[in-house]
Amino acid sequence: MNNIVRREIADGVHFSAVRDNRFKTMRISATAMLPLSRETVSAYALLSQVMTRSCAEYPDFTALSRKLSSLYGASLEAGVRKMGEVLALTFSVSGIDDRYALSGDSISRELSELLCKIIFEPYLEGNAFCGAEVEQERRQLLELVDSELSDKRSYATSRLIELMCDKETFGVRRYGTKETINAVSSSELFAAWESMLRTARFEIMYIGESDPVFAQQVFADKFTSVDRLVSKLNTVTTVTPESVREFSDEMDVSQAKLLLGYRTSVCAPQQETTAMRLMCAILGGSAHSKFFRNVREKQSLCYYCVSRYYRVKGIMTVESGVEFENIEKTKNACIAELEAIRRGDITDDEINFAKLSIANNFVSICDTVSGIQEWYISQLCDGRMLTPSQASEEFNAVTKEQIVAVANKLSLDTVYMLRGK
Amino acid sequence: MQIKEIYSQVLKEKYYEIDHTSGLKIFVWPKEGYNSTYGIFGTPFGSIYNHFTFNGEEVRVPDGIAHYLEHKLFESEEGDAFSLYASTGANANAYTSFDKTCYLFSCTSNFRRCLEILLGFVSCPYFTAETVLKEQGIIGQEIKMYDDSADWRVMFNALCGMYKNHPVKVDIAGTVESIADITAEKLYTCYNAYYNLHNMALTVVGKVTPEEVLEICDNQLKPCEKVSVDTHFPEEPYEVCKHYVEQKLPVEIPVFNLGFKGDGGRRLSEKEIACNDILLFLLASSVSPMYRELMDKGLINSGFSYEQFEGPGYFSIIFSGESRDPAQVETVIKQYITKLRSEGISEEDFENARKATYGDAVSSLNSVDTIANLTEDFFFSRRNVFAYFDAVAEVTLEDITGQLEKILDTENTTLSVVKGG
Repeated sequence: MNNIVRREIADGVHFSAVRDNRFKTMRISATAMLPLSRETVSAYALLSQVMTRSCAEYPDFTALSRKLSSLYGASLEAGVRKMGEVLALTFSVSGIDDRYALSGDSISRELSELLCKIIFEPYLEGNAFCGAEVEQERRQLLELVDSELSDKRSYATSRLIELMCDKETFGVRRYGTKETINAVSSSELFAAWESMLRTARFEIMYIGESDPVFAQQVFADKFTSVDRLVSKLNTVTTVTPESVREFSDEMDVSQAKLLLGYRTSVCAPQQETTAMRLMCAILGGSAHSKFFRNVREKQSLCYYCVSRYYRVKGIMTVESGVEFENIEKTKNACIAELEAIRRGDITDDEINFAKLSIANNFVSICDTVSGIQEWYISQLCDGRMLTPSQASEEFNAVTKEQIVAVANKLSLDTVYMLRGK
Repeated sequence: MQIKEIYSQVLKEKYYEIDHTSGLKIFVWPKEGYNSTYGIFGTPFGSIYNHFTFNGEEVRVPDGIAHYLEHKLFESEEGDAFSLYASTGANANAYTSFDKTCYLFSCTSNFRRCLEILLGFVSCPYFTAETVLKEQGIIGQEIKMYDDSADWRVMFNALCGMYKNHPVKVDIAGTVESIADITAEKLYTCYNAYYNLHNMALTVVGKVTPEEVLEICDNQLKPCEKVSVDTHFPEEPYEVCKHYVEQKLPVEIPVFNLGFKGDGGRRLSEKEIACNDILLFLLASSVSPMYRELMDKGLINSGFSYEQFEGPGYFSIIFSGESRDPAQVETVIKQYITKLRSEGISEEDFENARKATYGDAVSSLNSVDTIANLTEDFFFSRRNVFAYFDAVAEVTLEDITGQLEKILDTENTTLSVVKGG
């Protein structure tokens, strides 16, 4: 990770390469970053799915899948995520490194070209994506929205954020709603593709043993022929809630979910995000956290109780699954743990253990190809790029006073409960 | 003490297999350039081991006891193992499956200390009435969390439909009622029967040498007496119990498991596993005509998957996914199995499937945790990791065709569906 080389190859398009000979696979990804909005989110989500289903050269997914399987089961995928109020679409290909091919095939070269074709040469009928392909992906995207309900834990988190940020762009779900997905027309999809190529900030990342020059050139050639006008990306952060709002849904479930949403008033690219991340780790980030030791182990209230900090948006969530009659008790127990930090009731051990655990995670994440890609993409809205050891150093420098100070900036905004019927 | 070096020319990988004087089997798999080390200590004792003869006494234990034991082993008289790990920064965890229990850590420094902790707490049980009782609330919530999970329920309903007597049909964590019968004494009985070094295996992968591992093991592990324990599994008929099972849960889109019960009378060889992997790729991967038809008819989405489900006394192949019409999915899958049998497999399709299966397997050797878990799994199944890779490279079309006659009996299936009510 120390040898990452990042350069601008076109207006708002960066290419980064990590040469690494430890792995048996290589991976190239292109992340398009666009402003999140209620109006366009479903078009972009649908676009990312349609684009990874076919391209001009392989005009249906069977042909494309056959190509991938002939490249030793290479994979091609699209991911959609929100980073604050930025929508990030990541297209990635990965496959085994040339050294492990059974018959001397050059897989990295083929995969670089394939990813480029996926992005720049989709399968079009005139100025529109193929209708049948779009309808197939639309159905699947609708089912993806439906399937969120099958996992109650992540469903409850989505509901909390949707309700807490109902007047903010961040409250938009990453695929939009069934209504907005159904409303995307074929021409809107084509416009979204053109707009993505023209206005998105692109980050291309190459991780592998082979020389990245070929991949860089392929992308540079393509992007220089686009008339670029890069969108501005920013996230609005609300500082203090006017009052705490409570919401609950009723459903036929065995276990209740309790979620708390906090405004932290600290967000990327501020320096204080480091102290806030550390505070969040001490509170509920590991098996040494206050939540794990006190709410789970001492009080036996739950199996999981965790806190999570969304640093680009500047909010923090607390999530747990409990008995219906223990909702209030657990809520008070969680709030009490946060109060303890605010009072400065934290031991040196708690701070050091959290720092050690964070450093351990940072270093080990870069022992996998997808981990390196994640490390990089997760920092795209931070305004700077740190190596794992640089990041660990920053965490190690945080003092107890700074932790207490950021804990005192938190204010509870929303309580969400999923209850039984 | 015997140290064997095992090398694969094709994969350019090597590991050491050691028969330690204590009786423990040790695998050390150094990965050059890696920053993390992953250690895993396992025993072939999982949820299906609920009836055995130990020291001449026949014992039946409550459902969920292996998982309960896993939770409780973390606790000692001085505190819990998590707090010992805290000062190392390591990530520690454990899991219980049908046929094994594994304790693990991942660290980037303090390896020595981490391995000492791991060997230490797994070798020192400490159960009292009080500590056992405390866990009921925590595991109770874990069970309820899974009760609300559509994916989990649909799988166990499928197993209940397929298996009449075999304990693989019982939820790994047991039920809130069954765990209420667990006592410190019963935990000790299970521990003494199955947590014997002659039964167990330690695997360490990543930044490590065999010398480092042996030095610690030599210090900490004393030779122990071999114990004899007979596990009893009830007679299981070849036929499934029910062809269709259904449960209502709050979900928007139905989820399904379609299980093809096979002959679980003996464990499969590396070659049989490899043949099944290639066959399943041919039949059901995204390049297959079957997948194409299911997609075109809107019957599945990209969440569709398949697996070989195999262990002591059970073998089946399970297709799973989300569908508006699971019964129709069953019909189409069975049609394609019949078609594959009658029309045969082309040499080209076979080679493609072999390449993709090989690529998949090679990619899995990138990450220390995958390697470590794979090594334990293969050892407890009396299989060899490299022999599997060789088999994928060497099996012939005739092998595959022969295997197709032995599996996927279209008359012996269970369809399990969870849908909204």
